[in-house]
Amino acid sequence: MLLRRIYQFLMIYLIGLAILLMIKYVVNLSDYVIPSLGILLNTFGGISSTYAHDVFSTLCVAIIGQIFSIMLAFVVGILGRKTTWLGSLIKVAAYNIQAYPIVALAPIIFILLGDGFVSRLLIAAMICYFPLLLSVVGILAEPITEVEHFYQQTGRMRWQLEVKIRSFENLPKLTTVIAGSATLAMAGTIVAEFIAANAGIGYSIRIALYQSDLSKILVALFMIGITLSIYQGALEIAGRLVKSAWEQ
Amino acid sequence: MFLDCRDLTFGYQGTTKTLFKNLSFKFENPGFHSLFGSSGVGKSSLARILCGLLRADKGVVDTDSIDSLLYAHNLERLPGWSSIGAHIERITPIHNQDKKELLIRHFGLSTHLGKRFSQLSLGQKNRINLLRYLVQDFNVLIVDECLANVDEKLRARILINIKAMFKDRLFIYISHNVIEIASYCQQIWVLRGPERDQQAVLVRGQDCRDQKCLDRSSLQQTMLEIMNAA
Repeated sequence: MLLRRIYQFLMIYLIGLAILLMIKYVVNLSDYVIPSLGILLNTFGGISSTYAHDVFSTLCVAIIGQIFSIMLAFVVGILGRKTTWLGSLIKVAAYNIQAYPIVALAPIIFILLGDGFVSRLLIAAMICYFPLLLSVVGILAEPITEVEHFYQQTGRMRWQLEVKIRSFENLPKLTTVIAGSATLAMAGTIVAEFIAANAGIGYSIRIALYQSDLSKILVALFMIGITLSIYQGALEIAGRLVKSAWEQ
Repeated sequence: MFLDCRDLTFGYQGTTKTLFKNLSFKFENPGFHSLFGSSGVGKSSLARILCGLLRADKGVVDTDSIDSLLYAHNLERLPGWSSIGAHIERITPIHNQDKKELLIRHFGLSTHLGKRFSQLSLGQKNRINLLRYLVQDFNVLIVDECLANVDEKLRARILINIKAMFKDRLFIYISHNVIEIASYCQQIWVLRGPERDQQAVLVRGQDCRDQKCLDRSSLQQTMLEIMNAA
């Protein structure tokens, strides 16, 4: 699973790179616009360790933001799973807020909180939170009647048991949603860093953009992609481990 | 103990079809009783009304003399995170532990307790589901096709054992097996649909308590009555 994700990323990255190089040679563009393979490899050798550190910094923020989002999504999902007025309110609010581009709020966060760690974390969490919430509410609000019937009939049903049944029955779906939200958390952090932060790979991409250095941007994209593939693969493996541990 | 339904009218929302129109029937006294009828006549819907999962549009379900009414059906699943033995252990009240051991033997499930629900055959799944209801404290148990996919011999053995162990309880057995219903049930309410004058007809069953009690000609007579009523 992990290797498959890495293969898939490498294939897509290499195809993209090949198309870019093809355009360069067909249209006869200079190395300044699209760097040659040699320049790219040279840049990779020069900055890969710096960028690896930057990507790691971004990933850490993304992971913390994602964990925060997952916890909050479960709390709100548990409250919103019922067909009460509160449940309906939470669902409607989640649908509506989710439709709003959260990135547009980023400048406000930077103005209020500055360009440090907290701003990056908050934007990352906000970007991955709402899609996560919608999925979690959807999963936890859907009764598994064939399992829950007995507990309801015998008066044993408690909210903890209800959440346990619904989570267990939808574990593959939850794992996919959480793995998918990792991309959003990473994207959120990079966007935050790109806008105004003072660290992370988004910040490095911004500097590379100011220098018009496409080779650095391509190296950054490679580092981001490979790191995210490993992280998502690890999340999927963790999901499988949780399921098998639960089933034993 | 009795379960009395008077003038029940019910139709699912969003459909124009009325499932019951002024339907009345009464199950009296503990024992093994049955609801019988062709597919789609509303047996499971009626069971859901009796246990409060559905609300009738009109009419009264009198369960005042009943403390606990449970409804078991054959589409249920046990949670997959533990073995069926651990699950049964957890949901069995302490005072019913002996009963549980006995039922496990009668139901032929002793060798399967270490398995997960998903590892069982359909018949085993249905048996374990019925068993977990039997170890609860109940006055009335509605058993909806809970012995489907179980072979005839084992079904007979299970029914006889249930009748022997739970003499003071009222069972409402829902099944499409006419021979079984005619053989083991006392009161058999045959549902006939809202278009008929009398929507439910009562047939007296053979109420056998062991496999030897069956008299072939009276069994055939009862089966004929059920089929004519349906």
